[in-house]
Amino acid sequence: MKVEATATGKNVHPLLKVENLVKRYTKRSLAGTPEELLALDSVSFTISPGTTLAVVGESGSGKSTLANCLACLESPTSGNIWFEGKDIVKLEERACRQVRRQIQLIFQDPASSLNPRWSAFEVLVEPLILQRKFNREEIKKRVNYWLGRVGLSQDIVGRSPMELSGGQRQRLAIARALTLEPKLLILDEALSALDCSVQAQIANLLMELQSSLGMTYLFITHDLAMAAHFADEIAVMDRGRIVEQGPPNKIFIQPEQETTRRLLAAVPRIGRGDQSALER
Amino acid sequence: MRVRRVLTRWLVTLGVLHGIVGFAGFFAPYDPVEQDRKSPYLPPMRFHLIDGQGHFHARPFVYALKLREGSFDRYVENTTEPQPVRFFMKGARYRLLGFLPCRRHLFGLENTRIYLLGTDAYGRDQLSRLLFGGQVSLLAGLLGAGITLSIGLCIGAVAGSFGGWRDSLLMRLAELFMALPWLYVLFAIRAFLPLAVSPLRAFFLIITVIGIVGWARPARLVRGVVLSAKERDFVRAARGFGATHGYLFRRHILPETSSVLLTQAAILIPQYVLAEMTLSFLGLGVPEPVPSWGNLLSSLQQYSVLVSYWWIYLPALAMVPFFLGYLGLASSLQERGAAYKIESRIWGI
Amino acid sequence: MRYLVRRLGHAFFLLAGASVLAFLFTALAPGTYFDEMRLNPQIAPETVAALRAQYGVDKPLPLRYASWLNSVLHGDMGFSFAYNGPVAPLLVVRARNTLLLTITSTLFAWAIALPLGVWSAERLGRLSDRLLSWGTAVLLVIPDLALALGLLIVAVRSGWFPTGGMASVDFETLSPANKLRDLALHMILPVTALVLSTLPLLVRHVRASVADVLDAPFLLAALGHGIPKRTLLYRYALPAAANPLISLFGFSIGVLLSGSLLIEVVMSWPGLGPLLLEAILARDLYVVIGGMLFSTFFLVGGNLFADMLLYWADPRIRAESNAR
Repeated sequence: MKVEATATGKNVHPLLKVENLVKRYTKRSLAGTPEELLALDSVSFTISPGTTLAVVGESGSGKSTLANCLACLESPTSGNIWFEGKDIVKLEERACRQVRRQIQLIFQDPASSLNPRWSAFEVLVEPLILQRKFNREEIKKRVNYWLGRVGLSQDIVGRSPMELSGGQRQRLAIARALTLEPKLLILDEALSALDCSVQAQIANLLMELQSSLGMTYLFITHDLAMAAHFADEIAVMDRGRIVEQGPPNKIFIQPEQETTRRLLAAVPRIGRGDQSALER
Repeated sequence: MRVRRVLTRWLVTLGVLHGIVGFAGFFAPYDPVEQDRKSPYLPPMRFHLIDGQGHFHARPFVYALKLREGSFDRYVENTTEPQPVRFFMKGARYRLLGFLPCRRHLFGLENTRIYLLGTDAYGRDQLSRLLFGGQVSLLAGLLGAGITLSIGLCIGAVAGSFGGWRDSLLMRLAELFMALPWLYVLFAIRAFLPLAVSPLRAFFLIITVIGIVGWARPARLVRGVVLSAKERDFVRAARGFGATHGYLFRRHILPETSSVLLTQAAILIPQYVLAEMTLSFLGLGVPEPVPSWGNLLSSLQQYSVLVSYWWIYLPALAMVPFFLGYLGLASSLQERGAAYKIESRIWGI
Repeated sequence: MRYLVRRLGHAFFLLAGASVLAFLFTALAPGTYFDEMRLNPQIAPETVAALRAQYGVDKPLPLRYASWLNSVLHGDMGFSFAYNGPVAPLLVVRARNTLLLTITSTLFAWAIALPLGVWSAERLGRLSDRLLSWGTAVLLVIPDLALALGLLIVAVRSGWFPTGGMASVDFETLSPANKLRDLALHMILPVTALVLSTLPLLVRHVRASVADVLDAPFLLAALGHGIPKRTLLYRYALPAAANPLISLFGFSIGVLLSGSLLIEVVMSWPGLGPLLLEAILARDLYVVIGGMLFSTFFLVGGNLFADMLLYWADPRIRAESNAR
């Protein structure tokens, strides 16, 4: 179980503050009436620096839309997103690109988030090249550093992502995101596609990175148990709204909402349903 | 990897075939427009190794042809004088690949002319015309395919990237073009352009017309690729790193279209060569005296030629090895595309 | 039902679009068409002036299109300068001949391709299938032009078949039965050429579609129930492959129409093809447009027929459209 602490301990202000975020999709067909889908219905929460907030929900609850909005890939219909005190919703494209550096997204399926036609090296340096600030020496140094940091050996750089294992690919994706030294890492079901043992390895890597670098995580998942393992705070989402929020202890022992109970019931338990196994 | 080897084999075959046509000046014994009015409709000459007296010659030879007794258009071999075939001999001037002046030809005769595929009404060597005609027809096919694929790529990219009303409009237009019977449209467009133009202008005219007619299917395919590529996670990730739309298109989406474009090229090129042949055969394409595989066959529209002079038909079959090559190329490209998909499925992509 | 109405609307849209395109092509012509006509000594200058006025050549393009469309819808498809008469009757006769050729060829082609394709799909990978694949590949790589000319040469040299045209010289004097026989004899060559040129494409696609279906579990289950192989193939597998096959049918109509143009010219079959060619060489503008529109009409009509077939054959489409 995670030790409850903030890494730096100095910053009292939240790194990220989401206020009444609404995202509405309208589907207009050539005939007939437009259909409306309310993906996010007035979502609010905050994340303190150096901590992990887990957003848990079933598929269709709006988790991925939330991730996209926070990473500046989509614009919300209304609401505010304060990142380090600045409202990033209002930014135009150029400033948005600056912000995108600071907030990075790790996808669920590492096979599809890495271009299979490229080599691992090209995949890794893409963010650095796009920033256009670094020369070749710098780039090489950063690549080698981060490769080592995520536990990958140097000889994978020549290979295509298709030749790597699931765990290696996800490490590559994490390394790629970290080369930009972001402040907030959004992990959109980042462990869900991996085998159990690999999940544990990557989870440990992430926790180690958090404690040494002071990373802040927004961890999106449908797996409550994984969230409990990881997070300082859990928010449960259902159909676009946050229905319950609190530290893992509270969620597990005193779930208030039906949704939470459902998610809880889906968690496989070892032993005779002894709650104490969770309270490590 | 077996697919790659097969692919290479087809590419090499096609390369050789195109090379022979490309270096037509060397492989053809004579200039294609050179006439020999004294020898109209000569049948093909045959290679011999053993002469009338039963002697074996190490160097192959042919017999000149002379008119049969009492006939005005039937020929027999003049077996008194074997004409040895000379290789790599100097002959008429030509420009290799269009710019290098050269005089060497693969083969020829010293004293008289060799006609391996016979002659036409004006005594022009059919073999030379076949080879040079191939340059025109193949080039028409290649350039026409280039035009179609360029238009298709642009339109498909715009439709796929922007979506919305642009997409709907362009795809409706594509549907319209695909609904028209293409040969009729080709003819209709050709009809409204000037008929009697110089061979060069005619050539570019018909390439443009052929190229414009077929953009719809490649455009739809490209659009499909762009649409699916846009949604790929690595594109979203690149946006997250601060990529502009131009970068995304250039580095991520465009490479995805390459396999579709290549396959379409292998399918379109032979179709377009055939289109040029059809137009020229009917007198709407490349005009005389410039040879093309199509207009080499035009005289067959006369009954007398059809009946008596069978060798005029041969250029019709010239296309066959090329068609075969392109067919093989297209299937191995498609197989490679499918294999790539299967591989991706195995790796869990 | 709504599905059919939608397809009908779609067909109209295509025809309208084709008419606009056809009309736009006339705008491509450098200089007006009538300038060239004026140079033609066979046409009186008064005729030219009258036609210019009638067709409103000096008016802006949209107006011209509107008046042209109006006359077309009333059956007046313009004036043929080469034949010195209205275009429509000319086209109708030729179109009838082209249809005769195309429909017959379509029927024959499919009648051969379906069984061959199914037979081949059943023996996928085995020697007989591979031989057939090679055979179709050979046919595929021989250009239509070569096929048509080759057949013509065979006809000419053997004297078995009439070498062109649609009817013998003494056609009118023959009895009805002999008339039919005469027609059939004349049709053999062009139909053979058309069928041979489209057969390889059809066989390959039928084989591929049926092979796809043969993998399905429901067929294996049916086989387990003891249903005989032939019934299995034709009453279970083939209907399941109906969807792609009917689309292929629609596509094949387009291929056959385009192919018929060339073959009609080569074999002197009096259809739209030779008419179009003459019209182009004689710069007979309205015949060209009319010809293109007629052929588009047939193609769209054929595809509409295919859509209706699909509606009848595929219960999924019926269900989907009824559910709305």
